[in-house]
Amino acid sequence: MLRIEHYSKTYPGGRRAVDDLSLHVQPGEIYGFIGHNGAGKTTTLRAVAGVMDFTEGTILIDGHDIKQDPVGAKRVTAFLPDNPDLYEFMKGIDFLNFIADLYDIPAEQRTAGIAQFGDAFELTGNLGSPIGSYSHGMRQKLALISAFIRRPRLLILDEPFVGLDPAASHQMKGYLAELCQGGSAVFFSTHVLEVAEKLCHKIAIIKDGRLVKSGPTAELVGDSSLEDVFLELEGEK
Amino acid sequence: MKKFLALLKVSVQSMLLTSTNSRGKSRKRAVTGLGAVVGIACLGLYLSGLYSFLLMQALAPVHMEILVFVFMGIAALLGGLLFTAFAVKGVVFGGKDNDLLLSMPVSTTLLMASRLTAIYLENLLFSAFILIPAGVVCTMLTQSGVGYSLLFWVRLVLAVLALPLLDTALSVLLGALIAALSARVSRGALGQNIVMGLFLLSIFYFSFHLNGMLGGLAADPDGVKASLFWAAPLLWMGEGILGNWGLLLAFVLCCVIPFALVVFGLGRVYRQAVTAFAARSAQSTYRLSAQSASSQKKALLRKEAQRFFGTPMYLWNAGLGPMMLLAAGVASLVMRDSLMEFAAAAGGALPVLPMAAGVLCFCLCVSPIAAPSISLEGKYLWILREAPIGEGALIWVKVGFQLLLTLPCTVAAGVCISAALRLPLWQGAALLAAALLFAVGHAAFGMLMGLTFPKLDAVNETVVIKQSLAVTLSMFVPMAAIGAAGGLYWLGGKLAAWAALALPLLLFALLAAACTAVLARRGPAMLRAL
Repeated sequence: MLRIEHYSKTYPGGRRAVDDLSLHVQPGEIYGFIGHNGAGKTTTLRAVAGVMDFTEGTILIDGHDIKQDPVGAKRVTAFLPDNPDLYEFMKGIDFLNFIADLYDIPAEQRTAGIAQFGDAFELTGNLGSPIGSYSHGMRQKLALISAFIRRPRLLILDEPFVGLDPAASHQMKGYLAELCQGGSAVFFSTHVLEVAEKLCHKIAIIKDGRLVKSGPTAELVGDSSLEDVFLELEGEK
Repeated sequence: MKKFLALLKVSVQSMLLTSTNSRGKSRKRAVTGLGAVVGIACLGLYLSGLYSFLLMQALAPVHMEILVFVFMGIAALLGGLLFTAFAVKGVVFGGKDNDLLLSMPVSTTLLMASRLTAIYLENLLFSAFILIPAGVVCTMLTQSGVGYSLLFWVRLVLAVLALPLLDTALSVLLGALIAALSARVSRGALGQNIVMGLFLLSIFYFSFHLNGMLGGLAADPDGVKASLFWAAPLLWMGEGILGNWGLLLAFVLCCVIPFALVVFGLGRVYRQAVTAFAARSAQSTYRLSAQSASSQKKALLRKEAQRFFGTPMYLWNAGLGPMMLLAAGVASLVMRDSLMEFAAAAGGALPVLPMAAGVLCFCLCVSPIAAPSISLEGKYLWILREAPIGEGALIWVKVGFQLLLTLPCTVAAGVCISAALRLPLWQGAALLAAALLFAVGHAAFGMLMGLTFPKLDAVNETVVIKQSLAVTLSMFVPMAAIGAAGGLYWLGGKLAAWAALALPLLLFALLAAACTAVLARRGPAMLRAL
């Protein structure tokens, strides 16, 4: 579903944020991406989502090269940044319809999707209010609903659990699993190692822009815990 | 004092960096930005000097120099008010750094004072650019030689420093009213639009009123002076600059006291005001019904429209042009007789044609709708970037939205003016063609400026719409093109009547084609690189 080959990103000024990163996410997989602050997680996710240009390497999503065929690649993905800023001048329902229009989602499908995910995240009643009046958590939920109604083949999430209440976190984990059962894939970054350990089929650990370890969660963790493995790799234990 | 200066520095830096675009990575771009700002400042000085000169020529012989300072003072006051009143809601009450600064160990009065001083400095520019040229003209043209005294300049500088205090106090009160209404009215944008509409109408009313006064200046300057009782502080300012220290002191007090009252009064309740003006909570009464689908382009256009009509700052700054176009069209029909008299005095409709085209093009210049649209995406740009839309489509939707608003208004105004002047068909067609070509070129040029000088990290929409280099350039550079077209009309007129019309048309067609071609070729890459 996602093939990152020899991806590197150098910022203007010469700072190399990510160096020669390669990883593959198969259909049906939840792939966790962990690392310290500034390790290069967000830079990688933004490049995969086609939000940020990059210097070297190739990124293929469902066979579409994000550089050569960005529109084709984006049509099958949904991306949520760590702090999703949504149009404050729009009402919640207007934003969902706007996104649905951009992704050519038919009227019936979008109505059903909005009803399903709006109710699940307890936001349907607030959809008539301007986004400017939403709390941080409500905005996060609205962004999640806008992602789920697209039925993406690849869902890219940057720190998705930040700002969500426990009930919404639980709902989201369920929907991520459901999405993967349908053949889609999820690629997300997190600092919540316990969640990553329980939720992810595979995990990649990045340090200073370089991939230091990746593989199936069970193999990676072994008899230890993800926290121990992570801290050991980071040289803090 | 140290804290005040630190807070002031942050506010002023933010304003300066936005205006000159000097926070970019390119030094060349920063120098270009600074150069453009200096150029525009020179243009402002030239215009205020020209108006002062024309007024002084009429008034100096009857020893009514005071009225020049009164009229220019009113211009500075209204200009500053128009420029900063809309900004106050965003900068003072809705600043995104309010949470950060209110959590700091500084008094709210100090914070208020620093915010207001930044706005004062902005108004000071208006005051200096308008009153100092008036002083220079006064020195040159008055027979009494008052301008050659050092004390005259001391008094003028005092007036220049004091006037913006009054301007700032009035701006803050109006801004507070707008912010309070936005928080109270369920459809905040509608409430703000109504207040701003009324405010602009009153400014237009006073402008026409003053215009009428200027017409009667030569005939009855004493009567005009007597009728200006409502602007007593500005009369005191004029008398003060010309030598009456007592009235100058009264004027300075009239400026300082309201400013101090606003700083200390609002400063005491600043935290409460910021909280009250921001208090809007989501309601939970929405019932989902069947939704309808539309195309990508319609969705993007609708989003542009929602932002434009839902953001009063955007609507009342960039949307004035289309409103003025419609007003010009209606006015030409209503004042048809006066226009015909003017045309007859000018020797027929043909000499009036470039003036009509100039009016239409000027109205288009003050419609920078596309120019700030990229910067307004700012933190929201990720939404469009992750969506399956090509960069080219995004750019043309924004240009198309400006044209959707300006083209119909241009056609309506052009048809009305042609009918009012009873222009022959070919002249009416030439007028429309010139205005429409200019409208297309202006929209494409504005978009190019928006992509060249983006402000994606602006702290609020005010700095993007009112103070960004992209908007300033997209207004003033096309005005220079109008001037060039006027020059070509004059040159062509020496050859033949058809050449006088063809040359400006050719210029507008070339500029529109060039801007559109550059935008099509380089625009998508520029957007990708942001």
